[in-house]
Amino acid sequence: MHKENTEKSEGFEPYVLGLVCNWCTYAGADMAGTSRIQYPPNLRLVRVMCTSRLDPGYVIKGLELGADGVLISGCHPGDCHYVNGNYKTERRMQLLRKLVEQAGLEPQRVRLEWISASEGSKLADVMKDYVSVLKKIGPNPLASVKGKQNIDTKDLFTKEVK
Amino acid sequence: MANRKKVVFMQLSSCWGCHQSLLDLHEKLLDVIPLLDIQYWVAAVDFKLDHLEKLPNGSIDAAFIEGLCRTEEDVHLLKLCREKAKALVSLGTCSTYGGAPSIANLYPKRELLERKYLKAETAANRNTIPSENVPEIADYVPQNNQIVKFDAYLPGCPPTSGEIANAVLALLSGKPIEHSNKTICDECKRKKEEKNIKVFKRDFEGRPDTEKCLLDQGYLCMGPGTRAGCGAQCPAANNPCQGCSGPPEGVTDQGARLVGAFGGIADMESPKMLKSFPDPAGQLYKFTYASSPLSKLRRVKKNEK
Repeated sequence: MHKENTEKSEGFEPYVLGLVCNWCTYAGADMAGTSRIQYPPNLRLVRVMCTSRLDPGYVIKGLELGADGVLISGCHPGDCHYVNGNYKTERRMQLLRKLVEQAGLEPQRVRLEWISASEGSKLADVMKDYVSVLKKIGPNPLASVKGKQNIDTKDLFTKEVK
Repeated sequence: MANRKKVVFMQLSSCWGCHQSLLDLHEKLLDVIPLLDIQYWVAAVDFKLDHLEKLPNGSIDAAFIEGLCRTEEDVHLLKLCREKAKALVSLGTCSTYGGAPSIANLYPKRELLERKYLKAETAANRNTIPSENVPEIADYVPQNNQIVKFDAYLPGCPPTSGEIANAVLALLSGKPIEHSNKTICDECKRKKEEKNIKVFKRDFEGRPDTEKCLLDQGYLCMGPGTRAGCGAQCPAANNPCQGCSGPPEGVTDQGARLVGAFGGIADMESPKMLKSFPDPAGQLYKFTYASSPLSKLRRVKKNEK
């Protein structure tokens, strides 16, 4: 469930959307679970067969719907189950980060990691770090217009600019 | 003729290009014009706005909207057309996706006004931002369909004369406008190969081969993320596709789709690839920024950088 109390940074718990690959990071998360490793519960995982299956639009959609950070994680370079999928993901996400930054959103909100099936502890470390980074930069500004597709025209003309 | 349809061609902030494209039908116009009872068209017919304002609501069969809402005046005209028309048709990319002017959403309004009126190298008088007898400028560029509901749309910058004529004729006979879920690449006749691009080139670098796919040669062609319909005019003229028709049917975010396309076919380290994208929003959302979810940031941040 999405937390509604994201108004203030105080007591702010970031919502992290995790888009992870079936072969490495999802198995890694399983590993973290079966090994009883503690990590922040802010992560919601979506499993895909390979991170190269992700349209960068999914990441933008996640941000539009109010996710404070999107973690994309797959196999280490050279380890992709589909030979070279993660290289494509790397290029896409680096370009996407640049695009998101230009649009005025913190690039840290898009994070790319490589976590293998045996690295449950790395997932925990990454999540601890990511949650602290997101707490510092605060809630996603797009969350405030979530679901508001229509514009009240009064909002277009505030006349405060001089 | 009793069965002529009442139509309005309305211009909001825009360049006239879409109306010009309709007029470019030349003698074919003779097939279209007799079917229309034009009630308002600043470009071609001498009606004043109060004529349109006095018509009863819902009395117009179709209103074609060109351009985007940059000023208070535009919003008024758009809402007026919605009241008067049974069907509202978005004509061109500005009206459908925000168009090139919506790139303005990357910057706060104050910065844009200062650049235009106080810092422009070509401005003779660089000390005032006009505020009297001009309509108020909007804080950000909305997408027209966020203000009123549209019934049909026809993107393109401009849509080709043929596309507009087909759309007008389809609407007059009560059929929907058909949209393609194919891309420019499907229409393009160039020879395409397996793509492993070692270096991306900008439009002005070198001289492209006339037969081979422009992307295979490294030119940043927006074909993979752009709606088919224009007949791949630009690649046919040895010029990379600029992406003016917006995303194909079923895709909402053209820029994201292009990030996916270019990231997938590049065969280089990402720092090298990023050098080819000095202005990713301007390159990938050249015509559709208002329709991007990222554009909503200006709605939230207004005057912030």
